[in-house]
Amino acid sequence: MEQGYIENGFIVDVSNAKKTSEIIYQLSTILDLPDAHCKKVCLKLGEIDLSASELMSIKALVESMNSEIEFVTTLSRTTADAAIEIGLKVSELENKVQAPDFNQDKEEANAANKELEKALDKIFGENNFDEQTFHPEKEMKKLKAESENVENTEKAPELNEFKTEAEIVEDETPAMQEEPEIAEPSSVIAPEFSEHIVTQEQDNVDEELKEEFAQLEDFNRQLDEVNKEVIDAYDNEEEKDDEFAQLQKSLRETEKLPTLYIQRTLRSGQSITAEGNIVVIGDVNPGSEIKAKGDITVWGVLGGIAHAGADGNKYARIRALKMHAIQLRIADVFARRPDSINIPYIQRSATFTPEEAKVKHKQIIISKMYEN
Amino acid sequence: MDGRVIVITSGKGGVGKTTTNANIGTALAKEGKKVVMIDTDLGLRNLDLLLGLENRIVYTIVDVVEERCKLKQALVKDKKNPNLCLLAAAQTRDKTAVTEEQLKDICEQLKKDFDFILVDCPAGIEQGFQNAVAGASEAIVVTTPEMSAVRDADRIIGLLEAKEEIKSYKLLLNRVRPNLIKSNDMMSVDDVVEILSADLIGIIPEDTGIITSTNKGEPIVNDEKSLAGKAYKNVARRIMGEDVPFLNLEEDNSLVGKMKKFFSGLMGKEK
Repeated sequence: MEQGYIENGFIVDVSNAKKTSEIIYQLSTILDLPDAHCKKVCLKLGEIDLSASELMSIKALVESMNSEIEFVTTLSRTTADAAIEIGLKVSELENKVQAPDFNQDKEEANAANKELEKALDKIFGENNFDEQTFHPEKEMKKLKAESENVENTEKAPELNEFKTEAEIVEDETPAMQEEPEIAEPSSVIAPEFSEHIVTQEQDNVDEELKEEFAQLEDFNRQLDEVNKEVIDAYDNEEEKDDEFAQLQKSLRETEKLPTLYIQRTLRSGQSITAEGNIVVIGDVNPGSEIKAKGDITVWGVLGGIAHAGADGNKYARIRALKMHAIQLRIADVFARRPDSINIPYIQRSATFTPEEAKVKHKQIIISKMYEN
Repeated sequence: MDGRVIVITSGKGGVGKTTTNANIGTALAKEGKKVVMIDTDLGLRNLDLLLGLENRIVYTIVDVVEERCKLKQALVKDKKNPNLCLLAAAQTRDKTAVTEEQLKDICEQLKKDFDFILVDCPAGIEQGFQNAVAGASEAIVVTTPEMSAVRDADRIIGLLEAKEEIKSYKLLLNRVRPNLIKSNDMMSVDDVVEILSADLIGIIPEDTGIITSTNKGEPIVNDEKSLAGKAYKNVARRIMGEDVPFLNLEEDNSLVGKMKKFFSGLMGKEK
């Protein structure tokens, strides 16, 4: 990131940023510098495609620091159009938007793009989540197929293979740990036996194997039972997956919105309304009001009234380090502090338990936030 | 039904307007009257806190005035007494959000459904006071036996007398300390009445229970044992037209005093 000073302003080079959040982060660190106030900012964007609303939020961030964006340079056509749409000057000099050359290196470029996409998907994409979510289930199916094989063919190699599979499953599904005898068969036949060695020495070990096999069949039955349990458990967790989808949806919906940063304590009688998300670095005292179309995050004690998703976005969330809100509203759902809770007069304390409020079954649910 | 609109005012701040409002309102509701309290202290609302209704307020008087909701929607019912309602003030606005005419109009509408409309007046004599007084026909002037509070009450009484709509005003003496009066360190009730030459409607003794009740959001009239609660109940009965003698505040609370009282009571009965 380089920054050079120009007359009554400076250039902020965020061309290496790949995401809006990165731009905002870099920009805010620069704008936080004492020299950066009341200056004109020339924003140097890279190839990133920004929508008008994202640019608006960047603009709002700059304006909140009493500075203004003089002009924007970008390599992306979309960004340039968006900038013009919201009335930002796109630099004449440096703004040479590269028109993609379709004839030259087309395939190469496509391949590179695909690879890039894959890499990005791995890092940011949804596929990653799917993999994580369904990975154990796939494993389960594979395992089931394996166990059927064992029953049908009664061959040692599969048995061996199966056992190693079983070990994997044992590690991954906690329910299986309840079966201590699982470990026994695998210890008799060394798991490092490779396939062909076992086939060669099959006759020798046949007798042994038959004994073992009786045990294994027993084990198989148990395994099937456990499998059923686990699969049932997964069925139950479908709801959780729904929730996960909802979370993703809400993230997507509120991510598009601009975010208003407030770095002070909101006191009684003060109210803040925003078109996007609100982040308060400080407390929100009783008697104050925050209303946002997106999420509300309070890095401090939330003691007033908070209304997230004010235009009806029920996926909006309210988060606070300490949830003492008099009232919470998300979209058109409303919750008030129970009368029985005796809020201490002094709300500050050493322990903060970050909590999150969301709508579930048309009710506001407050839950503790963990690090996942 | 034609309700009585009573404004509770004082001029000086911190003499107990809001506490008086909450307690008289609750006491009247306990007597079976339909009561609505209007908080006109926009931007510095407290009445909801004293009643413990802070978490139930969705619409305020400003929402009613600006027609974001109907008047009935904005009335917050008390936790215990369904006869008691609160029309809360907006915390995020200032006194200019409501005009005298609008408040008058609200009072007129509420008169139809309630026996008593108690208007909690902000401190001072500016627009907030003018708004609060606009719809009222009676007034209770709260004061304490201190020179500054009495002076301000005098000013307020002067302003009230100038208003045609105010048919009658009564004086409520708050935070009286019999011990200090006895030792001549505090103005006596008679002194205050003489200075202000107004009818007295109640004498409320200083009570530490008020502090706890305020913090809990539970009016002290709900506490049967409290002397101040008793005094407020008497005020409510006087407002309803009953003739209730003033409490004897110089009651001896020591054991000897209680014994004396008990025996004198017995003697009285025997006679």
